[in-house]
Amino acid sequence: METLQFLSDGFGVAMQWRNLLFAFFGVLIGTAVGVLPGIGPMSGVALLIPITATLTSGLDAQNAAASSIILLAGVYYGAMYGGSTTSILLNTPGESSSVVTALDGYQMAKQGRAGAALSIAAIGSFVAGIVSLLGLVLLAKPLSALALSFGPPEYFSLMLLGLCAVSGLAGKSITKALIMTVLGLLLATIGIDNVSGVSRFTYGNIYLYSGLEFLTVAVGLFALGEVFRSILEKDDGDGKIAKVGRILPTKQDMKDSTKPIIRGSLLGFFIGVLPGAGATLASFFSYIAEKKISKNPGKFGKGAIEGVAAPESANNAASGGAMIPLLTMGIPGSGTTAILMGALIMYNVQPGPLLFDDHPEVAWGLIASMFIGNVMLLILNMPLVKVFAKVIETPAKYLLPIIIAISIFGVYAVQMNTFDLLLLVGCGVFGYLFAKQDYPVAPLVLALVLGPMIENNMRRALTSSNGDFSIFVTRPISLFFLVIGVLWILIPLILKWMGRNVVINDEE
Amino acid sequence: MNKTFDRYAGIVFLLIGVFFIMESRRISASSYGSNVGPDIFPIGLGVVLILLSIRLLYETLKYNKQGKKESKPDYKGFLVIFIATVLYVLLLETLGYVITTFAFLLTSFQVMERGGWLKSIIIAAALSFGVYYVFVEVLQGSLPGFPM
Repeated sequence: METLQFLSDGFGVAMQWRNLLFAFFGVLIGTAVGVLPGIGPMSGVALLIPITATLTSGLDAQNAAASSIILLAGVYYGAMYGGSTTSILLNTPGESSSVVTALDGYQMAKQGRAGAALSIAAIGSFVAGIVSLLGLVLLAKPLSALALSFGPPEYFSLMLLGLCAVSGLAGKSITKALIMTVLGLLLATIGIDNVSGVSRFTYGNIYLYSGLEFLTVAVGLFALGEVFRSILEKDDGDGKIAKVGRILPTKQDMKDSTKPIIRGSLLGFFIGVLPGAGATLASFFSYIAEKKISKNPGKFGKGAIEGVAAPESANNAASGGAMIPLLTMGIPGSGTTAILMGALIMYNVQPGPLLFDDHPEVAWGLIASMFIGNVMLLILNMPLVKVFAKVIETPAKYLLPIIIAISIFGVYAVQMNTFDLLLLVGCGVFGYLFAKQDYPVAPLVLALVLGPMIENNMRRALTSSNGDFSIFVTRPISLFFLVIGVLWILIPLILKWMGRNVVINDEE
Repeated sequence: MNKTFDRYAGIVFLLIGVFFIMESRRISASSYGSNVGPDIFPIGLGVVLILLSIRLLYETLKYNKQGKKESKPDYKGFLVIFIATVLYVLLLETLGYVITTFAFLLTSFQVMERGGWLKSIIIAAALSFGVYYVFVEVLQGSLPGFPM
């Protein structure tokens, strides 16, 4: 088994003391990010990129990339653990992926079973992490082999599919989501065109020649946008924090949640692999599925442990599943994986089918470190749940200005110029306005990362076909991707249209 | 949904689309022997953006008039913090990291909630010196330290 050999090499990389330390800090910071309201996995990962870049500056590119990505991925799945804590204790989810956890988790906390809910969430997340890792190990080789057979037209269509999927599922209005996607693609064209070397839309501004830096835009739109919203709409809901109580779950709790954990893990993993779906939908679907399967659905919403176990497993499995399209095909399916991809590109490591051949220590090291990181999270979360519960009490008065300061520090440490800082603040204002008016920002960031690659592949395909656009529909795989992409946009529209009819009927 | 905002946004997006199309036409044609130059992609996107903006404007016609009652946002506090942020960004290179960060943090702590001066000063000072020390001395990074 060649894969096993690679995996054990991966463990060799992940067990180096430096990478163990990086994984540890990654999951620790991730848990804190998940617990703190106002800072999500996306801004958390984006904020840490400059710090890891500095930490790894003494290493050669290969090791630096492996160590950084180990830390950043740790933040990503660590946040999934942490997000459940606030849902359960405060009824205010730290992440959107933990919204459904609050339904039963907070009820459990009110009944004095907060400790059991928290530990089941941690155990479920751990099992899910392992399940998604096994999936990653099994699927990595075949999928990257498949992706290697793709030419420029297939890649173009596949990336278009990714964008359609993210836009189709983001926000209330598909029109708005598509506008944000196109805007992201247009912003990505700013700078020197790397095919012809012509500068586009730069107007003599030297900072624009290299294009808008995605890190600046992402931190601005997500982190600053969220901080500005919190300042404007002072939403520090003075909820009482429930007592944690007994931490270990009872035997009955374990028995009740074993199957939901396994079902949630599998469902979450497959939803995570799909582009655009991500952790929030995974937790939502698995909750609905458990309610449908359950013999007495009436207990959901009143503190059913299944209602905590399934969605918490699902959202963690989804974050593992989301790594698959990123690592094997080089296509991020969500905002956070887009940021991880941006980080890899910063180290000249191009995610995609060649990653497993060109940089096996990065790919397999990351996979192995996710296994280790999940063990660390389980050990961290069971005894330290009470400590993390304290983190929630950080007053907004101090937290919000500090997030602004960290954003500015992070961007300046990498970009070293005032132009990017002004862009950062501008993006923060737009991030607030967009989010408030239901214009989803994740598609914009994804489009900004994918834009140059989409354009390159489109132009390479068109050059080989002498400018004939039919190349995208005559190649079967490319056509297949395009059809799915169109369906992804159309099906929600049709469902909405049917749904609207139903509502009108009700009113009459 | 806010009808007025979406209507203005639709017009702005439409203008952005027109702008990108017009400016793309000024890009010099590709020197390389292909009819797929650097202008095709932005022009195509500009067209799509215009179509989507028209769709958005059309959708705003169908919005229900009644808007949700929203609580009054804290514009004053936000404005002060926003101006402080802009000043922080503009003065960072001239006054150095430590002074600007300290001033920014102290101001915004007090804007968020008056009082607790001693605690605010200690946290602001610890963060501005701490980050600078760790980043520059320990990690060997580069930040503008103090005014020259």
